Amino acid sequence: MLATGRGPGLEELLGEVARGDEAAFERLYDRVGGQVFGLIRRVLRDRAQAEEVAQEVMVEVWRTAARFDPARGTALSWVLTMAHRRAVDRVRSAQAATDREERAARMAGDVAYDQVAEAVTTRLEGERVRRCLDGLTDLQRQAVTMAYYGGYSYPEVAGLLRVPLGTVKTRMRDGLVRLRDCMGVEK
Amino acid sequence: MNDDLHTLSGAYALNALPYRDQGLFEEHLARCEACADEVRGLRETAARLAAGVAEPPPMALKRRVMAEIAQVRQEPPRPVRAREENVVPLAPRWRYRLAVGLAAASAAAAVAAGVVAVDAIGTAQDRDRTLAETENLLAAPDAVVRRVPLTGGGEATIVVSPGRGRLMFASELPALPADETYQMWLIGPGGIRSAGLVDGGGGVRTATLAVPGEAERFGVTVEPAGGSPQPTTTPILLTKLA
Repeated sequence: MLATGRGPGLEELLGEVARGDEAAFERLYDRVGGQVFGLIRRVLRDRAQAEEVAQEVMVEVWRTAARFDPARGTALSWVLTMAHRRAVDRVRSAQAATDREERAARMAGDVAYDQVAEAVTTRLEGERVRRCLDGLTDLQRQAVTMAYYGGYSYPEVAGLLRVPLGTVKTRMRDGLVRLRDCMGVEK
Repeated sequence: MNDDLHTLSGAYALNALPYRDQGLFEEHLARCEACADEVRGLRETAARLAAGVAEPPPMALKRRVMAEIAQVRQEPPRPVRAREENVVPLAPRWRYRLAVGLAAASAAAAVAAGVVAVDAIGTAQDRDRTLAETENLLAAPDAVVRRVPLTGGGEATIVVSPGRGRLMFASELPALPADETYQMWLIGPGGIRSAGLVDGGGGVRTATLAVPGEAERFGVTVEPAGGSPQPTTTPILLTKLA
C-alpha cells in the first residue's frame, strides 16, 4: 500500500488530468482512491458521509489539478492533504452544530483515546508505518494519531489526554519529525 | 518565526489547528522559508499515515465520481504562486502589486459597510480610493487572500484581515436581469445578515465591508432587486473567513 503513491508517474498523471484527460483521471482514481476513501472513513467513521466527502475530494482533484505545484510536495501528499482537510472540516461543522459544552463534557468523560490509537494500529497495512509509529513515545503517538486519524484539533487532544496545550503542540511536532526521519521522507 | 509559533508546524501539518490559528500560522509560513520547508516534510510524513488505513472504495463511488467530472469544468492554472489550496498568504513584496492590480482591474468604487449599490463606472477618484483602501487592508499583518470559485464559473478574490475587521471582495460578475441584484452576506453563530448589495450590471465589482469578529463565512447570492432580508437562492460564492 505504501508503494501506491510513491512510484514515478502520479505527478505526470496529475499533469494529464490538468489537461482534461478523463482516462488519466480514472487511472489516478484507481491509484489514490483507496487511500482517500480509507483516510476519510477513518476520520468520519460514518460510511455514507465518507463516501460523500470522498466524492467531493476526487471531483476537487479533477477541478483543480492545474493548481498542483510539484515544487511544493508530491501529488499524493497534495491529494491526501485535501482529503484530510475536507474530512476535518466535516467533523468541525458537525461539531459546531452540537452543543460545545456537551461535547466538552463528553470528552472529559474519557472517550477512550486508546480506541483511536489501537484501532489504527491493528488496521495498519503499511508495515513501515506501524514500525515507525512504534518508535514514538506514547504521548507522541497518541497526539499524532488522534489528530490525523481522529480529526481532533490540538486543544481537543490536550483535553482528551489531560496534558497542557504546549505539550501537545510539541509532541505533535517532534512525533512527526521522528516519523519523517524513520520513514525516510525527504526533508 | 518565534519559537512558540514554530512549534505549531506539527499541528498544522496534521490539520489540527483551530481555524483562527491556521490563518496566523499561514501568514508566518509565507515569510519563513525554513518553516515552509519543515511543513512540507511533515505534510509528506502525515500523508504516509494514510497508507495505513487505505481501503477499497465502493465501485458505485467511482461511477459517481466519473459521472460527475464529465460535467465539471476544470480551473485554469493559477496565475500567482500560492501556498495552500485557495489560500494565498501575502509576501510583503507583492502586497503592493496586488493592490494595484485589484484597484486597476476595477472600475468600481469600494464601499463602506452597510453598502448600497456599487457603481460600475467609477471616477479616477474612486479608483484611488479603492487602491488606498486595498493597500491598507493588504498591509495588515494578518491579511489573507483567498481565490474562491464562483458556482457559475470564474472566481472572486477575497482579502480578509480579522485584526482590522475588514473584508474586500472583488470579482468579475456576469450581468443580471434588471430585476435582480447581487447581495453579500455574513454568516455567524447569530445567523445570516446582509452585508450589502452589489449591482448586477455585469463586469468587475469590488466592495469592502466591516466584518464583526463572530462572522464565520462570507457568501454572495442573486436576489430580487432591492435585496432580501435573508438569502432566497443558492449562493454563487460561499467561503470561510478564518
